[in-house]
Amino acid sequence: MKLATIGVGNAGSKVIDRMVEFEQATGRDLCRHTLVINTARTDLAKPEHVPEDRRLLIGETHQKAKGHGVGGDAAIGAEVAQTEIDDIRRIFDDVEIHEVDAILVAAGLGGGTGSGAAPVVIEELQKMYDEPVYGLGMLPGKYEGGRPALNAARSLQSFVNKVDNFIAFDNDAWRSRGQTIEEGYEDMNRELATRIVTLLAAGEVDESEVGENAMDSSDIMRTMEVGGVSSIGYASTGVDTPDDGLLSRFSEEEVSNMESTDAAKIKGLVRRAVNSRLTVPCDVASAERALIIFAGPPSEISRKGVESARDWLEQETETVDVLAGDDPRTDSDTLAAVVLLSNVTDTPRIKEIQDQAVDAQDTIQQQEAVREEEIESLITDDDNDLDPIV
Amino acid sequence: MKLSLFGVGDAGTRLVDKLLQAEVETGRNFTDGNVLAFNTAAEAFGETDTLPEERQILIGDTHSAVNQYVEPDADGPDTDTASATSRDHSPGVAGDPELGAEVADDELPEIRRALDLVDDTEVDAAMVVAGFGGGTGCGVGSVLLEELKSIYEIPVYVLGALPAADESDERAHTAARAVRTFVPLADAVLPVDNDAWARSTQPLTEQYDEINEMVATRMLSLFAAGESDPATVSEMRIDPADVMRTLAVGGLSSIGHASIEVDTSDEGLLARLMQLLGLAEETPDTQTDAATIKRLVRSALNSKLTLPCDIESTDRVLVILSGPPSDISRKGFETGRYLLEEETGTVEVLAGDEPLPNASEITATVLFSNVTDVPRIDELQERAVAYQREQDADTAVIDTATSIEGATAVAADASTAAPDDESDHPFEFHGTEEQQENGDAHGGDTVSPDADASDESTATDTPDGDATDGSAADTSADSDTATEDGDATTAAATSSDEHE
Ligand SMILES: Nc1nc2c(ncn2[C@@H]2O[C@H](COP(=O)(O)OP(=O)(O)OP(=O)(O)O)[C@@H](O)[C@H]2O)c(=O)[nH]1
Ligand SMILES: Nc1nc2c(ncn2[C@@H]2O[C@H](COP(=O)(O)OP(=O)(O)OP(=O)(O)O)[C@@H](O)[C@H]2O)c(=O)[nH]1
Ligand SMILES: [Mg+2]
Repeated sequence: MKLATIGVGNAGSKVIDRMVEFEQATGRDLCRHTLVINTARTDLAKPEHVPEDRRLLIGETHQKAKGHGVGGDAAIGAEVAQTEIDDIRRIFDDVEIHEVDAILVAAGLGGGTGSGAAPVVIEELQKMYDEPVYGLGMLPGKYEGGRPALNAARSLQSFVNKVDNFIAFDNDAWRSRGQTIEEGYEDMNRELATRIVTLLAAGEVDESEVGENAMDSSDIMRTMEVGGVSSIGYASTGVDTPDDGLLSRFSEEEVSNMESTDAAKIKGLVRRAVNSRLTVPCDVASAERALIIFAGPPSEISRKGVESARDWLEQETETVDVLAGDDPRTDSDTLAAVVLLSNVTDTPRIKEIQDQAVDAQDTIQQQEAVREEEIESLITDDDNDLDPIV
Repeated sequence: MKLSLFGVGDAGTRLVDKLLQAEVETGRNFTDGNVLAFNTAAEAFGETDTLPEERQILIGDTHSAVNQYVEPDADGPDTDTASATSRDHSPGVAGDPELGAEVADDELPEIRRALDLVDDTEVDAAMVVAGFGGGTGCGVGSVLLEELKSIYEIPVYVLGALPAADESDERAHTAARAVRTFVPLADAVLPVDNDAWARSTQPLTEQYDEINEMVATRMLSLFAAGESDPATVSEMRIDPADVMRTLAVGGLSSIGHASIEVDTSDEGLLARLMQLLGLAEETPDTQTDAATIKRLVRSALNSKLTLPCDIESTDRVLVILSGPPSDISRKGFETGRYLLEEETGTVEVLAGDEPLPNASEITATVLFSNVTDVPRIDELQERAVAYQREQDADTAVIDTATSIEGATAVAADASTAAPDDESDHPFEFHGTEEQQENGDAHGGDTVSPDADASDESTATDTPDGDATDGSAADTSADSDTATEDGDATTAAATSSDEHE
């Protein structure tokens, strides 16, 4: 597939940056256009793989943003994007949209910019283009607290309503213990980039030696067209590169020795992809459609293995709508299986966020209701005898 | 974030000076030189170390009721005479906020000229810094705050000291009124409780320096986070928008602060090296780190706050962890943040870090915004009300003769609406120069401030016809607009006359 990618807010921009990094490192060419949008100037400086002129600062003239972010206030994030929608539209002028198959908008849903501005951007893109617009959203962790949860629950609703499919990433599921603040989100952003690029880059090569087993962009789009929330599973295994001279001949021998076990290996890889950490943990059986892509040297992909893996996933997902295909990468030193579970309806983490959001909303409303009164009663004496100076 | 600072009075001047020193010491440049100090007495100006002289603005030195040594070559000849006639021992406005406000009103043109030295487009917010109990701090501070609010689009905050228990009732009265005045005007108010921070064994005045240092440390950790050079990009950086959003609910805010030494022992370094080399992935060491950070946040939460209060009454919270980013566990950061949510009961808790790679300690600074359960404020109000009643009673007894004249004056004033006409009115307590003063200074300044000012002075100082208990509130209700200005001057003049 060929994509136009847009990162909104800090998290969205960083993930897009990592996607570009990953595709460059692996010789893929998925992101034909990249764009990052933010309300914070300092965050816009972070991406390493996004050209300067593809970074858009919005809200610079907004009294509460002024190039400094929106402090987690999604309403301002949305307002700013709405106000500057013309600038946002304009930056798409040089995007030859017929060159891409779809548009991907990424954002962290806990903050103010991503959660507020991204849905506005998506709405505009849907008006402008016929191509599908996909969302990629990072769900805030439980410990980020009530406000991010509320932002996320609201934003998720807008996202899912507006996009053609929403791929979720659960920060909590991917949090690891030993990290320091310095390391931050780096690891999980790379993991996410690997998954999303491996999935969507399949079918990017049209002129092909690729053959009938290759996954086509339209297959991926068909799987995603059901909408809703999706989750991605991934597993990979090392393979020996063919251009290793002497060693490679030895390896080829070894490979052929192992050919009998190839089918089992492929199926095992898919099982691992589904049973290990998904981008958002979910009940696999609740998926409406599913798709498996094998990315790696075609010689490594056993047809028998693919078939049995597909059968297995059909059972797991309790659906007959499972597509399986290859993304042939002859020079790759890994074989990866990536599984897309489209429109999963049973995602406990999303339920949790929604519950946390409801509580947060109650608390916020209660606070708002008494705020002025409490301040007033604090600063005035009981009989209101004390007068202000001015 | 970038702040402009406006010190008012002695306390304000000293605090701003201390903030500037801290700026130099910590290398966090958050004012970019956008500072000013206003005072009615030159005293505190002599004590400053860092505040540039040309940024120290003396006002009221031409005002008859203000006690000021007049510099030999200053101003017109009539000034000398005027100030000479009504000078007493205490400098400045002698603790009288009404006089402070009046002086500031009169000198608005001068104040505005000074404000041109500060570029509000370069900063994210402005901050008025003052002793709440000071005649200058409260009086001039109120007028300045009102002025800044009317000319700036950026938020205007107030930082200041609350008088200690052993200070005079008058100071308590002034401070209670300052709170009453500042809070509705300012975007947020950050009072520092001198009483909580003073040690009873020493005179308060000798402890100012220490208290001011404590305040400066907290203010810079909060407002100047991330302004150090060279700035390191932080993963969970605090944006100015975060601080502003936390304070946007208004009311009174309080700050907690705690720090711990970074583990620079060989053991700690080794453990980190092991991790770096991938030899120890999840050592129990990092677990301790998370617990340490959480403990640090807890100590900040339990620390002596700038304004002691019930933290459960807070509206929004912000926490900043400053220190070497490689030493701050992310889990600790998150659980620390969550702890604040649990302990305060608010869901609006923003968290960020300030990477200081070479720092030897990690500090947690917690801002509790809009705390509404603050015993100290209630105490101040009780003292203030008692003092005010006492004053009212005294005035009622002392003078009954002038009260009738006073009442007449008010009535006469009320009939004339235009402020410009004021100087034409013959007020019995006015000297000629004073009237000119008023006329001069009046170029279109707002009149409303003086209405209340006058009411207050009516209640406390001026022998007024209805100066019985509770009259202040009544009078303020019918708000005799424009002419009150003159009346306030009258009152001030009277009170200072009485001092003699
Ligand atoms: N996976 C992942 N999540 C992130 C990253 N950075 C932030 N997040 C998450 O995204 C949410 C939003 O954070 P930001 O993207 O920094 O916020 P923003 O959209 O820029 O909005 P404001 O900062 O409020 O202006 C946070 O609550 C985190 O849950 C990241 O690098 N990776
Ligand atoms: N924390 C702190 N408080 C101070 C300092 N200086 C004065 N204060 C307090 O602030 C209040 C007002 O005192 P000043 O600042 O001297 O008064 P002023 O604003 O100059 O006005 P005048 O009453 O005219 O002198 C008092 O309650 C003092 O205790 C200081 O340097 N630090
Ligand atoms: Mg941001």
